[in-house]
Amino acid sequence: MRNYDLITPEGTKDLLFGECIIRRNIEQTLLRIFKSRGYSEMITPGLEFFDVFNLNSPYFPQENLYKLTDSKGRLLVMRPDSTMPIARVAATRLRDAMLPLKLCYNQTVYRTEPALKGRSDEIVQTGIELIGSELKIADLEVISTAAEALRSFGMEFSIELGHIGIFKELVGRLDVSDHVKEKIRRNIETKNFPALNDLLDSLGNSPVTAALKKLPALFGGEEVFEKAEELMPDENIKRILGELREIYHDSCEICGREGTITVDLGLVNKTDYYTGLIIKGYLQGHGEEVISGGRYDKLISEFGYDVPAVGFAMNVNGVAKVIEKNGILPAVPAPDMLVYAAEGCEVAALKKSQEYREQGMIVENALFEDLESARAYAIERKIARVVVIDEELCGEEEE
Amino acid sequence: MSKPIRIALTKGRLEKDTVGLLEKLGFDCTAVREKGRKLILPVPDGNLEVVLAKANDVITYVEHGVCDMGVVGKDTIMEMDGKFYELVDLGFGRCKFALAAKKGSDFYSGYGVKTIATKYPNVSRRFFEKKGMDTEIIKIEGSVELAPLLELADGIVDIVETGTTLKENGLEVIEDVAPISARLIANTVSLKMRQAEIENIINLIEENL
Repeated sequence: MRNYDLITPEGTKDLLFGECIIRRNIEQTLLRIFKSRGYSEMITPGLEFFDVFNLNSPYFPQENLYKLTDSKGRLLVMRPDSTMPIARVAATRLRDAMLPLKLCYNQTVYRTEPALKGRSDEIVQTGIELIGSELKIADLEVISTAAEALRSFGMEFSIELGHIGIFKELVGRLDVSDHVKEKIRRNIETKNFPALNDLLDSLGNSPVTAALKKLPALFGGEEVFEKAEELMPDENIKRILGELREIYHDSCEICGREGTITVDLGLVNKTDYYTGLIIKGYLQGHGEEVISGGRYDKLISEFGYDVPAVGFAMNVNGVAKVIEKNGILPAVPAPDMLVYAAEGCEVAALKKSQEYREQGMIVENALFEDLESARAYAIERKIARVVVIDEELCGEEEE
Repeated sequence: MSKPIRIALTKGRLEKDTVGLLEKLGFDCTAVREKGRKLILPVPDGNLEVVLAKANDVITYVEHGVCDMGVVGKDTIMEMDGKFYELVDLGFGRCKFALAAKKGSDFYSGYGVKTIATKYPNVSRRFFEKKGMDTEIIKIEGSVELAPLLELADGIVDIVETGTTLKENGLEVIEDVAPISARLIANTVSLKMRQAEIENIINLIEENL
C-alpha cells in the first residue's frame, strides 16, 4: 500500500515557476552582495555526524533534528544549521589559513517544527561568517552587510542589536542554581514581566535584581542607553553597555534612511551560541525575524581552534513570503520563438533553433506531429513567433 | 492613519472582560458589543481592530504576526507554548489548574503507575515530570470529571474555578498545579516595529488595572 505517494512531508513544499524566480533572485542578490565584500562561498554536506551538533552546550535539542544512520550504524543528522559545520571546517581544513576568514553560504537547513503550525522544516539560509577578528570594525562590517542585504529588498526594515554579556554578567552575580538562572532567562526572553518580578522579588532586593527586572523593558532607541546606564550596578557591565552604544551609533550612520536601528537588552535566546553582540533583522509585514546573527567567540574552540567569529543568516523563506504577500508572482518569461520541424527536417530545425538561441533568444523546439498542434501550443504559451523548417526550403514561415 | 493594531481576543468571558477594560480606557467598543456574527471589528478611535478567536487560535495568530497582540488565558499559554511576548497579567479570568481525584481516595498511595485524564496533556506531563512520577496521560475532550467516576483514570488535571463541579461529582482537589489568569501577549516583531503604539496601550492598561 502506498499512502503517501502523492504528497510531500509535513513542513515541506514544492516550489513552482514564479516562486522559484523569487527564491533565486533573493539568493543571487545576497550572494552577489556578500561576494562583492570579499566573502568566499562554501558548501557543506547536507548530512553531518550528530556529534557536530552535540557539543558541550546543547544548542540544538535532539528532538528538533532529523536523524538517520550511515552504513556503519553511526548517527547522522540533516544539517540544522550552517554555522556549526562552518566552524568545523574552520577548525580543520582552514586551520592554517590566514585570518580573518570571510565565508558565505547559501544552503538548506532542516529542523522539525511542531506539526500543523504552518512552519517549514526545510529553510534556505543565506549568510556570512567572519572568522578571526574581535575588533569593533568586524562587528560593524557584519551589521553593514546585513543592512545592505535588507535594503536590497526595497522594503522598510529594521535591525536590532543586543549584547548577551549584560545578562550573563548580571545573572552571574546572583547566588542561585542554574535552574533558577534558566527561569530568569526564560522570563526575560518572553518579556514575561509578572513572572520575572515575582521570581526576582523572592531573591531579595539588590541593584542586580533591579537591573534584571528592567532588562526586558530596555528596548527601543537611544533612550534605552540612558535608562540602562543608571541601572547597571558596576563598571564592568557599564563598559559592555558603552561598547554596544558605540556600535549602535555607528550602525545608525551606516544604515541609511530606509531602515532603522534599534536595541533590545532583553535578547537572551537559549539556543544561541552568541557570546557578545546579537543581531536581528526584521521586515515590515513579517511576524518573525528574517535575520539572526551575532558574535560567537567560543563556538569554534569547541572544535579545538580558539578563534573569535561573528556572522548572520538570512531566512530566505521568510523574505520570499513577504515579497509574495506584497506583490504578484513574477511570470516566467515566455519563449521568443517556437521552431517546428517538418518530417525529415529535425536536424536542420535543431541546428536553426540553436542559431537563434545564440542570438540571445529563448527558443523552444516544437514537439508535435503536425503544425496545427504546434500553433495551438504557441498560442497557449504566448510564444510570439512560430518558425517552420520544411523539406523543400528548409526555410522559414513566420507567424 | 497607519494600519490599525490588531488584537485577538479569546471569545467568551475573557472577551467580555477585555472589552470592559478597553471601554474603561476610553475606547469606543460599540462595534464589538454589537458584533452580530462578524469576527473582525473596528475600534475606530483607538486605531485598533479586534479579532475574535478561540483561545488556541489567539496564540497561533499572534505567533504568526497576523495579529499584533492577544488576550488569552495562562492555561492556554501553558499548554500551547510558542514564541511571543507575555507582557501583562490582566488580573481577570482568575482560576487555577488543579489535580483532583475521588473524594477520600489516597491518590499518591501504592506503586502502580497512575492514570490521569485531562484536556491539558502538556501541563499534566510537566507537573508529574517535576515530581519524577511516571504517569499515563489520557486526553479527554469533554467533561474530564467523568473519567475517574467511570474508573478510566485515577485523577484529573483540570481548570478549577469554584470547585462546585468537582464537589457535585464526588471529587476533591488533591493539589494545586498552577494559578491562571488572563494575559496580554504580543508578537515579537510587532512589539519592536510598532513599539510606541503598543507601549501606549500597555501603559493605559497598567494604569487601569
